[in-house]
Amino acid sequence: MNKERFKKIISRLGLGLLAVLLLSILRFPATAEVPKHYTELELPPPPEIELPEYEQYELDNGMVVYLLEDHDLPLVNGTALIRTGSRWEPEEQVGLAELTGTVMRSGGTQSHPADQLNLMLEQRAASIESSIETTSGSVNFDTLTEDLDTVFNLFAEVIRKPAFAADQLELAKNQQRGAIARRNDNPSDIASREFDKLIYGEDSPYARTVEYVTLDNISREDVINFYQNYVRPESIILGIVGDFEPAKMKAAIAEAFENWQVTSTPPQLEVPPATQKHDKGVFLVDRPELTQSTVSIGHLDGTLNDPDYPTLSVLNGTMNSFGGRLFNEVRSRQGLAYSVYSVWNPNYDYPGTFTAGGQTQSETTVPFVQSILTEIERLRTTPISQEELTRAKESILNSFVFNFETPSQTLARLMRYKYFGYPEDFIFQYQEGVKTTTVEDIQRVAQQHLHPDKMVTLVVGSNRAIEPPLSSLGTEVKTVDISIPQSPTS
Amino acid sequence: MTQFWQQMKHLVKEIKLFPQIADLRVKALCFLQSTGVQIEFALLNSVGNLTSAPSALDWHKKLSWCLGAILVFWNCFPVLAYADTPTPSSSIQPYLNRVIERVSEFRLDNGMKFIVLENHEAPVVSFVTYADVGGVDEPDGKTGVAHFLEHLAFKGTKRIGTTNYQAEKELLDRMDRLFAQIQRAQEQGDEARVAKLTKEFTKVQTEADKLVKQNEYGQIVDTAGGVGLNAVTSADYTSYFYSFPANKLELWMSLESERFLEPVFREFYKEKQVILEERRLRTDNSPIGKMLEVFLDTAFVKHPYKRPVIGYEEDIRNLTRNDISEFFSTYYPPSNLTVAIVGDVDPTEAESLAKVYFGRYQAQPKPPGVKVVEPVQQETREVTVEFPSQPWYLEGYHIPALTASEYPVYEVMAGLLSSGRTSRLYQSLVEKQQVALSAEGFSGFPGNKYPNLMLFYALTAPGSSVDDVEIALREEIERLKTEPVREVELERVKTQLKADLVRTLDSNMGMARLLAEYDAKTGSWRNVFEQLEAIAAVSAADIQTVARATFIPENRTVGRLLPSS
Repeated sequence: MNKERFKKIISRLGLGLLAVLLLSILRFPATAEVPKHYTELELPPPPEIELPEYEQYELDNGMVVYLLEDHDLPLVNGTALIRTGSRWEPEEQVGLAELTGTVMRSGGTQSHPADQLNLMLEQRAASIESSIETTSGSVNFDTLTEDLDTVFNLFAEVIRKPAFAADQLELAKNQQRGAIARRNDNPSDIASREFDKLIYGEDSPYARTVEYVTLDNISREDVINFYQNYVRPESIILGIVGDFEPAKMKAAIAEAFENWQVTSTPPQLEVPPATQKHDKGVFLVDRPELTQSTVSIGHLDGTLNDPDYPTLSVLNGTMNSFGGRLFNEVRSRQGLAYSVYSVWNPNYDYPGTFTAGGQTQSETTVPFVQSILTEIERLRTTPISQEELTRAKESILNSFVFNFETPSQTLARLMRYKYFGYPEDFIFQYQEGVKTTTVEDIQRVAQQHLHPDKMVTLVVGSNRAIEPPLSSLGTEVKTVDISIPQSPTS
Repeated sequence: MTQFWQQMKHLVKEIKLFPQIADLRVKALCFLQSTGVQIEFALLNSVGNLTSAPSALDWHKKLSWCLGAILVFWNCFPVLAYADTPTPSSSIQPYLNRVIERVSEFRLDNGMKFIVLENHEAPVVSFVTYADVGGVDEPDGKTGVAHFLEHLAFKGTKRIGTTNYQAEKELLDRMDRLFAQIQRAQEQGDEARVAKLTKEFTKVQTEADKLVKQNEYGQIVDTAGGVGLNAVTSADYTSYFYSFPANKLELWMSLESERFLEPVFREFYKEKQVILEERRLRTDNSPIGKMLEVFLDTAFVKHPYKRPVIGYEEDIRNLTRNDISEFFSTYYPPSNLTVAIVGDVDPTEAESLAKVYFGRYQAQPKPPGVKVVEPVQQETREVTVEFPSQPWYLEGYHIPALTASEYPVYEVMAGLLSSGRTSRLYQSLVEKQQVALSAEGFSGFPGNKYPNLMLFYALTAPGSSVDDVEIALREEIERLKTEPVREVELERVKTQLKADLVRTLDSNMGMARLLAEYDAKTGSWRNVFEQLEAIAAVSAADIQTVARATFIPENRTVGRLLPSS
């Protein structure tokens, strides 16, 4: 009996103690009664990443479908990713892909002329947009749940039965002409366009530009042919995310797309190669009206599936952002620039670039270029500190959860991986790669991927105001002519 | 499209600390230059393009014609009344009501206001500190001080950003004294003395630099997994923001409270060079940047909306650390700060932590707002800027502040004219007449805390002149006065404005910024939702009445950007 009672007392005491202890632990975070410096904080463990559930299936005609439910808001979004791109348009018809992408939607459908389509959508605060870029095309819709049926049907019509109205094509071409006329109005615009041309070559599908003459070469028939050639069920990955009911959604998808058969010969989809056009050199676009130079320095390099990608992205981190070497050195310490960067900038299936640059006043152009080159050279020759490595890694790893902030991010990623043939868990492989990056890895990839001897330097600025002159960079300066070629017909 | 338009409205009104171009979106810089302001980019460390929407990568190439590119998507036709008119969306309201229920607010004893919106969809939280101070509050001759202060608010505190504050402080003070002496010597034209003092200044600066842990504040945030760290200064406000994983609530409390508790304005003189470079980027080397500066200077004669937020070059050059400190102590008391926290957060915990951390601030009266009243305009004003660039046409009309009862009418008019392919300016100027590549109008320029402008702009199409767009634009503006807007058109714009808000709900940061701004400007965050009711109440007759009063020649300012010969 006594023993029993004793036990009870002990256990009650124990429970009580435990409760007190638990309470004090649990209450701890909320009862910080004195403010603490950030170094003194004990934070709860980082949140787990939760992958939303999704469904993937394929229609008989080869169209791939991803569905991801998200009932947080009364909205539904969808994207049809289409295997096409301006890199496959003929070189004498630069602009054909983009025009096709624009007019596919703007030109209305065979059952709903443009004006009617626009009204039906905008009356519902919905949208359907289409575009064709360098490496892919897409049609998107965005609607309130209550209008899903109507909007989804219109979306399917835009994909399957675009009308390519002649007047809308003319409008789109005229808008393009306006764009050509305005393309030299802003220094950064000039810099990015001309830099790509210096790297990839001005005729490369990755750098060439639409001209009056290439626009003149494009007829409505060309646009329709381009569409018919590329827009076909087996070339489409359809992804829908939002507040839909899965069974109903699947039925609507089947109804809209299952009977779609295209029997013509599939298009040639070989990825055009890219090689660096100019090995090195200093190039100038002379704009006497400018008081500030826009600088781009870099060379061709790399795709995302390069095994060094995670390491290179840690390297990007050590150079850029707050506390990055360029931000610290060139901006904060030397006061040379508002904007300065250096980024290894890969593509999915063709080589991207390593590009550094920014803007600085004319007088400091040469010192600015030299400061950037110095930082690049330092990466190659001197190991970064353990502290820098840790910071760059932690920044990526601690913010990793933001890659999963919304279900639509996850869906877009899955579709893109599928499109380019990347593994589904690529982002987690990347995460692992970042975790295991060492100081030695950084130096190795810096030596392997950054080549100062192959770097092309482009300056958009006022030649007479740049003092010391660009020639003091130790090489002949070549002038780039950016005057706009006029159309023979205009 | 509407989102784009919304974005555009913000873009021409704010300037940022940090361009965040550290990834492939370098190309989008053209956007910045054409608008004179900065677009927000995904951060480098969020795996760059891996996470972007399918077309985002190449999308920026479209910006090769900058502002005009916005409207590349906008193609449409005359308004026809179709039988197919959906009933005004009723499904939205219950969602909005549920959101309102998830908002809580509290005010600390020192007057600092907090708004918390719970959203547990993902374990992340967005934070905004909204200071009710902007370019308008600057003393004459000190333009740019609000924006300069915003830059310096990233330089750290007595404990962050330095290895030895005591030693550093002495050097910083010496630099200030030397700078004053240099200024005086310059005024006296004593070159030799300037040279000698400058040499000494540089020596002290080098010493001070050795004690600085550069950008440590931002680095702590980055390393802890913070994303989107940045700040903007506009004519009306200064806003500081970023997002953290949900376990870092207390870290934000600690860092953000310390930031404004004991800021140290270090690296002042180097940052001045950075800001001058920013001014060159946004204004001096940007055709539209130049144009907007001159346009505002013409449209306003007295009200500080007249001045550029980034500041005049001469003012920036003459600013001192003391100017910054004085401005800070006047305009950053807790009574002038509003914080919005949106995301995976417990409001009770947020409140108790806020008391501990921000309760440290000394109460101080809220600074006065701007009392200057812009005199009523008496006649049309015109201004022309020449620059080697294609033409732009601008037209502005004075309108009342956000808090005025007729403000929603302007929002509706802006929607009618500018929102989407069915909008009037698009249909007429871009599609039918093809005189413009793009044409839009929006209210709230350069801010809306005070009476401001409804601004219209158009980019000429090939073969058209600014006179052509002027005539076409005027015709559409006149129509608002002469013809009542049809119900179906009105309904469309109202539905779109409502849906815009629902779409903003998808973004923690978007909501945080909206809640803080409305609370500070209108007295309650509830107005974010209640303005929809005000918008719903706008009638065709209201539009006609307001248009007739507003769009008159004597209330108009015209700006033309023309190619220099």
